[in-house]
Amino acid sequence: MKKALCLLIMMSLVAFAAFGGGAAEEAVEPAQTLRVAVPTFPNSIDASIAAERNAQNVAWQMFDSLVFQTETGEVEPSLARDWDVSDDGTTYTFYLREDVEFHNGEPFNADAVVYSWQRGQRPELEWSDRWARASSVEKVDEYTVEISTENPDALLLGIVAQHWNMVPPEYTEEVGDDRFSEAPVGTGPFKFVEWVREDRIVMEANENYWREGLPRVDEVIYVPIPESSTRMAAIQTGEVDIVNRLSFEQAEALEGADGVNVVTYPIDRTFYIAFNNLTTGVGEPTEDVLVRRAMNYAVDRQAIVDSLFGGYAELATGLMTTGNLGYDHSLDPYPYDPDRARELLAEAGYPDGFEIGFAAPTGAYTNFEQVAEAVQGYLRDVGIETDLEFMESGRYWDLEAEKALPPLFGDSWSERSGEALPRLRGALDGWDASFSAWQEETITDYMNAIEETVDQEERAALYTELHNYMFENPPFIYLYVPETFEATRDNVRDYNPRAAEDYFLMYTYLEE
Amino acid sequence: MQRYLFSRLIQSALLMVGVLVITFFMVRLTGDPARVMTPRDASPERVEAMREAMGFNDPLIIQFTRYMGGAARGNFGQSLHYRAPAMSLVMQRVPATIELTLAAMGFALFFAIPLGVFGGSRPGSIWDTLARGFGLLGQTVPNFWLALMLIVVFAVDLGWFPSFGRSGPMSIVLPAVALGFFPLGQFVRLVRSATLEVRGEDYIRTAYSKGIEERAVLGRHVFRNVSITLVSIVGVQFGYMLGGSIYIESIFSWPGIGRMINEAVQARDFPLVQAIAVFSAGFVVVLNLLTDVAYALIDPRIRYED
Repeated sequence: MKKALCLLIMMSLVAFAAFGGGAAEEAVEPAQTLRVAVPTFPNSIDASIAAERNAQNVAWQMFDSLVFQTETGEVEPSLARDWDVSDDGTTYTFYLREDVEFHNGEPFNADAVVYSWQRGQRPELEWSDRWARASSVEKVDEYTVEISTENPDALLLGIVAQHWNMVPPEYTEEVGDDRFSEAPVGTGPFKFVEWVREDRIVMEANENYWREGLPRVDEVIYVPIPESSTRMAAIQTGEVDIVNRLSFEQAEALEGADGVNVVTYPIDRTFYIAFNNLTTGVGEPTEDVLVRRAMNYAVDRQAIVDSLFGGYAELATGLMTTGNLGYDHSLDPYPYDPDRARELLAEAGYPDGFEIGFAAPTGAYTNFEQVAEAVQGYLRDVGIETDLEFMESGRYWDLEAEKALPPLFGDSWSERSGEALPRLRGALDGWDASFSAWQEETITDYMNAIEETVDQEERAALYTELHNYMFENPPFIYLYVPETFEATRDNVRDYNPRAAEDYFLMYTYLEE
Repeated sequence: MQRYLFSRLIQSALLMVGVLVITFFMVRLTGDPARVMTPRDASPERVEAMREAMGFNDPLIIQFTRYMGGAARGNFGQSLHYRAPAMSLVMQRVPATIELTLAAMGFALFFAIPLGVFGGSRPGSIWDTLARGFGLLGQTVPNFWLALMLIVVFAVDLGWFPSFGRSGPMSIVLPAVALGFFPLGQFVRLVRSATLEVRGEDYIRTAYSKGIEERAVLGRHVFRNVSITLVSIVGVQFGYMLGGSIYIESIFSWPGIGRMINEAVQARDFPLVQAIAVFSAGFVVVLNLLTDVAYALIDPRIRYED
């Protein structure tokens, strides 16, 4: 009797396993499903709330804005087919497409633009200050809106392109932020299907998408895989089609793996050792520009990049990266020249060097602790003794915001707008910026001029001048611009991540 | 028995109050949450407005009273990152973690008991060598390393199991093995040494001399006595596995509490960290309580003591 019972249980277990496994495999999948692994799971898939890069990427597959910004910073029509700018540069008139519907059938029109703006600038939403750059958004007629700013704002179009996701008024109002965040509706190339919390987000192609012939796959599934070794395994087994944020060791190991392509590109992030002339750096030798130049000569960046990043990083010449508007490609990074550094130090009145405080965060960036130690070593070689202090990154950034870090501190800054201005303002706007420790009249004047000039060529010229000024008068020891590593299955086509690590899956498809 | 239970209950309640106090102060050591909630280039005014809105400017004692009052009602506030009630987010993750923990425990016991009993009953035999080998391996192999090796061998090279996620019965195998390997080692050693001890007892000799088959002696007499020791350690191990699952769940992208701890800490989402810490502590306290009860039920010597 007992044996019979045991047998029965065993058999039902086997049957269950077989049936369960079979059912999962037999599920019919649409012709083309793109599976994308993300390292962090989105806090929200509403583009106005999605907090970081990966969440933004997921969200933006479902939305459009009025305009679209290309990788090189040019602004193209999107939901607005055209626009005019008033002579004083403070009023933009957008002419909207008339053939667009939201995924739920609501029409896209001027009311939707006005509603989206009113909603977006509520302070509890993540990107409210990006929406608040416009002082008013008004309906002119059914398909025309006027957007005004207090002063000419050259960044407005780029910010609209990157942060103003158009939402349907009726649905959004009806369900509220929390529900909208879980089941968003936009006009974008993909429609929301389901979000199985912490397991997957599924989207399907929007057949009525206004961009002809797009998107090119039927379904997109996002899966979170926090551990990079596991992402590496999942791309090898083909469980996913796209993975990002691999280490260079992993990327090298994947080179030549069956069915896998490695994608690598420099990202829009610069690493630096900052000086301070607001608080702790007052009265220190680093207030002298000769000393700051000397310290840029003293550090062998190439050796750091070669030994710690396998050579996969560009040497920085400023706080701008190569894709930024107005980047001066003729500038060469400071060469490693310790003799020149000693000369400059002597000229500045410090032939025997000096002692100064130095701090760096731990656990925040790849190998950054070693970078800081290398910098400390190079500075010691020219006579500058630093008292390098490592701090947990959370505590570090609090002190940085309080402007209480030592006069030398390491950090990095990323930017996705294709322009350096937000980063420049953030790092150099003195007391007006949370994480700045530096203020200099010339730099501030340049930043103000760039913000108020609307003509792209003039702005590019101003950026170039500022880039050169900051090269000669460095408020940082410039370090490097890192590369990032991704991998795709070898049948993935037209997946083109950009320097800000963003991408648009509407163009991507799988070759049979 | 009742007095014993009652005193254990009081101890548990005091422990939970201590946990609440510690979690309140602990998260305040990790930095300014208002800054985490605002973009990096936000102005100092906006950060200040956020701090005010979230009540971080109130005196500590007021914040503490608010926290304890909320905790008493199971309310740990909104998760800063996910913008949803923290405790309900934790509860959504509980089933996945329990599933994984049970599977890992099942795996560990399934191999540990026969290995330990056979090994202990025949010291020096091949079974004994195996038992001691597994005992040593389980205790020394780091579980995150084992997890990665399992993925490389069984998911990438052999393709037998999925490398990540929670989809169907096959997906639990690798994480359960990785998580269960440490307790497996501990159980084997424990069962083996307990068996060694028991097998010299008079009643075992009596059983043999009555002519009972060896299988029956091991099953009925040896294992039943060994299980007393086992129960106490199983309860403790459940608690440890909750800790171990932080790595294992993150590596296998298993959507449980362990992975959530990792996410919450990285996002400096302190209401969520608090909710998880309090939940986990509560879980361990309840487990210990249950273990004590089970212990008392199984072992008459404890039940009748007072």
